[in-house]
Amino acid sequence: MSTNFLLHCDYTVLWYTKGMSYRVRLNTFEGPFDLLVYLIERAEMSIYDIRISEITAQYLAYIRRLEENDVAVGSDFMVLAATLIDIKSKMLLPRMTEEGIEAEDPRTDLTKKLLEYVRFKKAAGLLEAQREYARLKLEKPQEDLQPYTGVPDIYLKMDMDGFIAAFRAFIHRKVKGEELLRMQSHIERERISLESKTSRIAGILEAAKKRIVRFAELLSPQKEDEKYDKVVTLIAVLDMAREGRLRAQQEVNFAEIEITGTEE
Amino acid sequence: MNNKERLKSAFESMMFVFGEPIDAKIAAAATGIDKAEAVSLFRELACEYEEEGRGIRVRETGGRFGFVTYEENYDYIRAITTPAKERRLSQAALEALAIVAYKQPVTKSEIDRIRGIKSDRVVEGLAEKELIEERGRSEAIGRPVFYGTTGKFLEYFDLKDLGELPVLDDESLEEAIRDFSSYGADQENNGEAWGQTKLELSEN
Repeated sequence: MSTNFLLHCDYTVLWYTKGMSYRVRLNTFEGPFDLLVYLIERAEMSIYDIRISEITAQYLAYIRRLEENDVAVGSDFMVLAATLIDIKSKMLLPRMTEEGIEAEDPRTDLTKKLLEYVRFKKAAGLLEAQREYARLKLEKPQEDLQPYTGVPDIYLKMDMDGFIAAFRAFIHRKVKGEELLRMQSHIERERISLESKTSRIAGILEAAKKRIVRFAELLSPQKEDEKYDKVVTLIAVLDMAREGRLRAQQEVNFAEIEITGTEE
Repeated sequence: MNNKERLKSAFESMMFVFGEPIDAKIAAAATGIDKAEAVSLFRELACEYEEEGRGIRVRETGGRFGFVTYEENYDYIRAITTPAKERRLSQAALEALAIVAYKQPVTKSEIDRIRGIKSDRVVEGLAEKELIEERGRSEAIGRPVFYGTTGKFLEYFDLKDLGELPVLDDESLEEAIRDFSSYGADQENNGEAWGQTKLELSEN
């Protein structure tokens, strides 16, 4: 018996590290036949001439090791264990009957089953290899044939009443939406444009007749939306200074801006 | 252009629009010829693609014909795309599928008997993947369900029909037994079990 026997156990080891699980499966046996065929080959026995006593001992030892390691052994594995023990006991009995006729070898049925299993295990391997080849051929999924099939749009499948109701609902939503938009334009504050501010400043400066005007005097008398007014006024002043229509002076930061008109 | 060439050209257009394989029956009905004639024209078309070494080939699976890429161009396609990682079939699933493929129609208990283990979950999984399907019921006690392979099975394994499955005769059985023996020989050297150690890395 090899010392690394336990290595072939049918168990799964999991390590957890930072949300990642590494799962190592050590040679999972697909079933009792899979295990038995493995043991037979390992012992270099012929499948046609199984040394039942030896293989039964190994099979049972394997199952015991699994149980010792808290691996649940399926009932299917136990059924084969019972079969092996049964064959083993029959092998001990003389196979010649009194009339000298040789009874059937008690292993025959098991051998037949194993051979059939081996055959399909082989076939499974062939399929696996065939798939490895087949997956290199890519195909397109079914195209969307809707544009070609002439299936009418879902709306047209409605009866007339449904269609009318849907159309009314649509109109209703549209009218409501437009009403809302109108209300919004009423609510919105009328804001002074840069152009009108510029012309208003020009008017004030003209009236001042080259006298110094403080920036504060250029602001709107209404206090609402003060920040906006200040910004527009400042932009208008800067714009007019650039055009040479006024001179603006400020002694230090944040001090009053003093403005003088340059136009005659 | 003669009539035959015209029909082949029509089939080509039909396959292009259809995307997935088109049944020769449908193509035959659309062009007013009989099915056998359609099949032979599709096959001619397939040969032409092959002879010209095209990157697209015509594949026949279960009486249906469709375009697939040339297998040797796979690496080039990979270079421009990220194909979804395919979940491979487990050994258990492959065993059950092989039994269904070779012995169909077959019941679940027959699969269990050959594998020596219950195969309910495996069979269910194969049906979900549409590789096998129910094929009526057996007359046996309890009237168990028969299973058979699907058209998708043929596509999955790139088979024209079930006749293309590798032959499982006594000779192949001998070979299978020899394979197992060589597994045994390998093991003595490296102490590893036959069948590869499977290492799976999965994110939780």
